Amino acid sequence: MRSGAADRGSRALAAALAERRVLVVCGSGGVGKTTTAAALALQAALEGRRVLACTIDPARRLATSLGLAALEGRPRRLDLSRVAPRAAGALWAMTLDTRRTFDALVEKHASSEAARRRILDNRFYRQVSSALAGSHEYMAMEKLLELSADERFDLVVLDTPPTRHALDFLEAPDRLMGFLDASVLRWFLKPYFVAGRLTLKVATRTGAFALDLVDRFLGLQFLQDLSEFFLAFEGMYEGFKERAERVHELLRGEDSGFVLVAGPARSTLDEARYFYRRLREKDMPFVGLVVNRVHPDPLADAGPVPRRPATIDAELARGLLRLMEDQSRVSRRERRGIARLEADVAEPLILVPELDADVHDLRGLREVGERILGGGGRARPRRREKAEIHAQARG
Amino acid sequence: MLDELLSRRLVILSGKGGTGKSVVGAALALAACARGKRVLIVEIDAPLEASRYLGVARVGTKEAEVRPGLFAVNLDPAAVMDEYVRRVVRVDMLARRVLDSPVYRRFFAAAPGLPELMVLGKIMVLEEARASRFSSRPRYDLIVVDAPATGHGLAFLGVPLAASRAVPAGPIGSNARRILALLQDADRTALVLLAVPEEMAVVEAQELHRAALDELGLRPIALVLNQCHERRFTREQEAEILSLAAEDATGRLARGVGLRSALAAARRHIRRRKLTRFYQARLRRLLPLPTVSLPYLFDEDIGPSSLERLARRLEAA
Repeated sequence: MRSGAADRGSRALAAALAERRVLVVCGSGGVGKTTTAAALALQAALEGRRVLACTIDPARRLATSLGLAALEGRPRRLDLSRVAPRAAGALWAMTLDTRRTFDALVEKHASSEAARRRILDNRFYRQVSSALAGSHEYMAMEKLLELSADERFDLVVLDTPPTRHALDFLEAPDRLMGFLDASVLRWFLKPYFVAGRLTLKVATRTGAFALDLVDRFLGLQFLQDLSEFFLAFEGMYEGFKERAERVHELLRGEDSGFVLVAGPARSTLDEARYFYRRLREKDMPFVGLVVNRVHPDPLADAGPVPRRPATIDAELARGLLRLMEDQSRVSRRERRGIARLEADVAEPLILVPELDADVHDLRGLREVGERILGGGGRARPRRREKAEIHAQARG
Repeated sequence: MLDELLSRRLVILSGKGGTGKSVVGAALALAACARGKRVLIVEIDAPLEASRYLGVARVGTKEAEVRPGLFAVNLDPAAVMDEYVRRVVRVDMLARRVLDSPVYRRFFAAAPGLPELMVLGKIMVLEEARASRFSSRPRYDLIVVDAPATGHGLAFLGVPLAASRAVPAGPIGSNARRILALLQDADRTALVLLAVPEEMAVVEAQELHRAALDELGLRPIALVLNQCHERRFTREQEAEILSLAAEDATGRLARGVGLRSALAAARRHIRRRKLTRFYQARLRRLLPLPTVSLPYLFDEDIGPSSLERLARRLEAA
């Protein structure tokens, strides 16, 4: 059976959803990543788990797909009674407030009240902690650690930001550690300002050039703020580092899994391939690759065609044939890319047909989840549709 | 709309991921080119995007003419930063030592906002560049920037404002203020929002519009609704399709093609077309912006000829 591979992919993902404690959903923008994350979280809740869906996306997508006006910075329990009156599990949703998480982190690790104030009042920090790109990823990792230890939940599904290079997310903690690394920045900044005067008496000549350069284009004010910032972080570094290592450990462990999401367009398939390779290189647990919104080929899945000619207007018949050719061309375009990706990653891809309508409520999410996992009594007829799409994708 | 856009020198496209920013940006560039403008396409850390659609070799970090009058560049933040260092340090050997030092690498990799600021600074330099040393003519009549997707796009465009607040004094602050002035100058810069006829993309376009105005002081001047499904059957034909589908009509339409699958295809189309119309109406009602609709592409491959078709549509809009 050609759909065997597809079912294998769905089954592996369903098993991860039933057993793991953390699922990280990654992918480039516009591929239905948030919807997929929310749908998987809902499925797990319907299966009896206590699930938290958490998004770091600064946009309000998860809220939209959960049918909420907005998400809060703390877990809010959703009412599942409309979609499943007797659901055994429970579902919470929240969004990550980067600034608050950062503040909480500072509160926790600052060596003294004075150090705490110095950081929180630092001009640089106030902008860095919320306004600038990159801090979302740093803080997501931090929050993940906290949430995974929260006993209210037995599964956390994390929707990551739609970075063009989705890997930014994985690499952010390393970058943060590189940035805060005492041996680098203290060396870099401290001698300069602790002396309280402009001196270039640093350890090496390269250091001197670097300082001179920084001075020339960043300016003294910036350096001052920055060095204050880092001096204030002194002592917190060890705490940060320890947390970052624990996040890495958590994500690499058997209780975690990464779900990759792509769309059928070539650019997002390319991103998925790249991300998959990096996951493997980094020894991160892969649990599934979902390709959303795959279009059917109306000319390929015709099934038996009656002999009797259709009795319709010739003009309409021509229009219908043109439409089918158009749709078929799109399907072939997608199919080529999907087949290439599947061959490259050598994993069963989970292909999800394009939906009839936008998803923006729990009912729609439930349907999406059933399509992804390919199970559930109600989803059985769609299984055939999925198998057809799979068969097409494999040519 | 094209006239309106082309009176500016810098066009920034932003919208949810998957709305086709690269494709629309390239089509816009082609349309401007067709009017005899010298156009530069700026991709940010995406070496394959523009080249993929324009059918040219991988776009590098140096501006290259990919067609007569059409240039493309991929601004890799690290490369932009290195270039900056080389210019500031001047002495090659010293520059190399800085660039090779792990301190510099780590600092740049993580300093929040610095990569964005560097890229925007480079865009500003390109906008101000003259055709030659003694010419007053700009090097590019139009620069089309494919900005990162909304959430990040906002953060990206927000960096100059944040930086000018975080570091009021010194070169960072003054550069950030100059960049901000360029972005906020409605005579020089046009922010174009992008969406597709789907709930989330439309919601994000609205959100981006609000945030750009209220938080960043940038005024979006147009919205492009991409991947629109246009009417291809008359009203009567659509009614006929729906009633045939309702009675589950069968028969042979052509060799190997049954009516039933044709009707399923047609219903998919009608649904998409209605959604397109629904979101067009909603955007018209909620966003006070001129809107251009571009068609969904059924091409075997999205390549140069697809872009040219979109460019003609932009020209006609």
